[in-house]
Amino acid sequence: MKTTVIGAYPKISDEHQDLRRALHRHDRGELDADGLSAVLDESTRWAIGELNWAGIDVINDGQIRWDDLLAPFARAWNGCDRGPLERFYDNNTYFRQPVITGPITTDGKTLVRDFEFARREARGDLKAAVCGPLTFATLVSEDSHYRSLEDRTLAVADAIAAEIRGLGAAGATLIDVEEPALVAHPEHFAIARAAMERLATAGVPLALQTYFFPADPLLDALAAFPIAQVGIDVRSRETHVLEKLTGLRQTVVLGIVDARNTRVETERELVGLIEAALKRIPAEYLWLAPTTGLEYLPHDIAVEKLKALVSAVHAIGGVKA
Amino acid sequence: MSDQVLLTTTVGSFGKPDYLQKARNANARGKLGESELTELERKATEEWIRRQERLDLDILVDGEMYRGDMVAYFAERLDGFRLGGLVRSYGNRYYHKPIIASKVARPKPMTVDWFRFSQSLTDRPVKGMLTGPYTMLDWSYNEAYKTRRDAALALAEVVRQEAEDLEAAGAKYIQIDEPAIHARPEEIEIAIEAMGVVTQNLKAKTVSHICYGDFAAIYPKVLELPVDQLDLAMANYGYRWLELFDKDPFTKELAIGIVDVHTHETETVAVAAEGIRKGLRYVSKERLLPHPDCGLKTRSVDESEEKCRVVVEATKLVRKELARQATPA
Repeated sequence: MKTTVIGAYPKISDEHQDLRRALHRHDRGELDADGLSAVLDESTRWAIGELNWAGIDVINDGQIRWDDLLAPFARAWNGCDRGPLERFYDNNTYFRQPVITGPITTDGKTLVRDFEFARREARGDLKAAVCGPLTFATLVSEDSHYRSLEDRTLAVADAIAAEIRGLGAAGATLIDVEEPALVAHPEHFAIARAAMERLATAGVPLALQTYFFPADPLLDALAAFPIAQVGIDVRSRETHVLEKLTGLRQTVVLGIVDARNTRVETERELVGLIEAALKRIPAEYLWLAPTTGLEYLPHDIAVEKLKALVSAVHAIGGVKA
Repeated sequence: MSDQVLLTTTVGSFGKPDYLQKARNANARGKLGESELTELERKATEEWIRRQERLDLDILVDGEMYRGDMVAYFAERLDGFRLGGLVRSYGNRYYHKPIIASKVARPKPMTVDWFRFSQSLTDRPVKGMLTGPYTMLDWSYNEAYKTRRDAALALAEVVRQEAEDLEAAGAKYIQIDEPAIHARPEEIEIAIEAMGVVTQNLKAKTVSHICYGDFAAIYPKVLELPVDQLDLAMANYGYRWLELFDKDPFTKELAIGIVDVHTHETETVAVAAEGIRKGLRYVSKERLLPHPDCGLKTRSVDESEEKCRVVVEATKLVRKELARQATPA
């Protein structure tokens, strides 16, 4: 068993607000792009330090530079602009919907510089992350180029596959594919699977992270996805997924700490969930995580949640990486 | 005003003047007292009432000079809540997301004095402005109630008390905003049930503002929300929600958003007027109220004013067209 995190970490805390201030100064023209970038790096260093300090076995870079899950890609890719603000699923958190204006293309280097920076800062295992193709494609506000959701999803998948190749060349050995759309819209699973097959051609092990919605209707289908890991949120909504994990062939990243509620789970509660999972899958195929990005919580609670996660796994005898 | 068609209004908040923003920051740092801050909030409120009259808006708001966040303001005044640390809503915008830590109760009215003050400044109607129970729940962390329905109904009870006090203080319009209503479309029955608790005894005209979400996912069910008027963001969506009304006719008054609020630039009068004409295809001129898409608190005073000016000018343009059509050549 290993612990990991998914998605974005809080970018600021009540005490550490350098980034917030720097962005305000940048908006007012008082700080240039290089100055802002230096603060973004410093904040990334801070987030990585906190994740390492908490004892998380496999960390990410906290996605400090990401405005939202889609932003790095919508900003960098040709054929794509950032459009209107929209609520991100059932959160009071907003993102800019992509607008597709032409064929999507990328040099595949969108995340390389950030990954290399994080690689230098992180102690121990570091994974990268990309937006899931179905999630990106379903959250587009306008598309004047592709004729169907399937065409758009597969075009996005080709661009994401290029990003994954770039990350692989930079040394990434595990990449989260954050795909809440798959569980939000299980009816599109065939499209999502075709997209994942394109991502798999890049040859880097992938962790398909689903969250916010129950994975129950998809468990059988997920077993056939070409992925090394599948992330499942068991806290956001009612689910019986813990009883049905046996059929999965991949490592399960179980979201047991609710990243969207401030109530900090008791060790007993978390140990109960882990034990239930261990009845169905061997420990070497089980990773434990928050349900989604901890950025949905205030920083102080996010830290408490990490502590709860790590201590529950240690209590049950998980090994440190 | 009573004979007027296409009554103009706004969603609730306006940009705060620099002096007030600075005073709020100073107050947060403990460098300015509550009474000094309140004086400046009253000054800014009066300025906005005068500005709305000058702009010739028909149904006014107090502009929420004394509020930061639309949920946190109430959470700070209700028993049962505590405020958590900062959480990002988008870009570089953060708020103190409230935590429902124990059973909620209203120790005293929260907005009634502000309503009385702003209504005393003008002969035009000022709306009483509240945040709806479902949105209060959805934008808070719920640690206290076993189910989301339990929490929504408990919040509905305190919002009902506030709404009835606003009516007793003379409010002719009471707006109970539910921008989170489509956050979980499967829970719309809860939002409808909770709103029923709030509006059950009200005689005032009731309004609910809904924005930024998948309106299609809750339409036409949302027509069962027990309010007289729905207030919808439309410009930001290219008016695509109107097409839903082809299949299931819209049955309430419609306050229609005709200028986007998240841009520094404002649509031209001609573009905004076209939005009104689109709305008129579905809702009669007596039941259609032009306004900006959403609250204007993220805009500067000047930008807020400009967006309102475009709404009023566009409305006057369309009113003239309607008058010409009504007069036989």
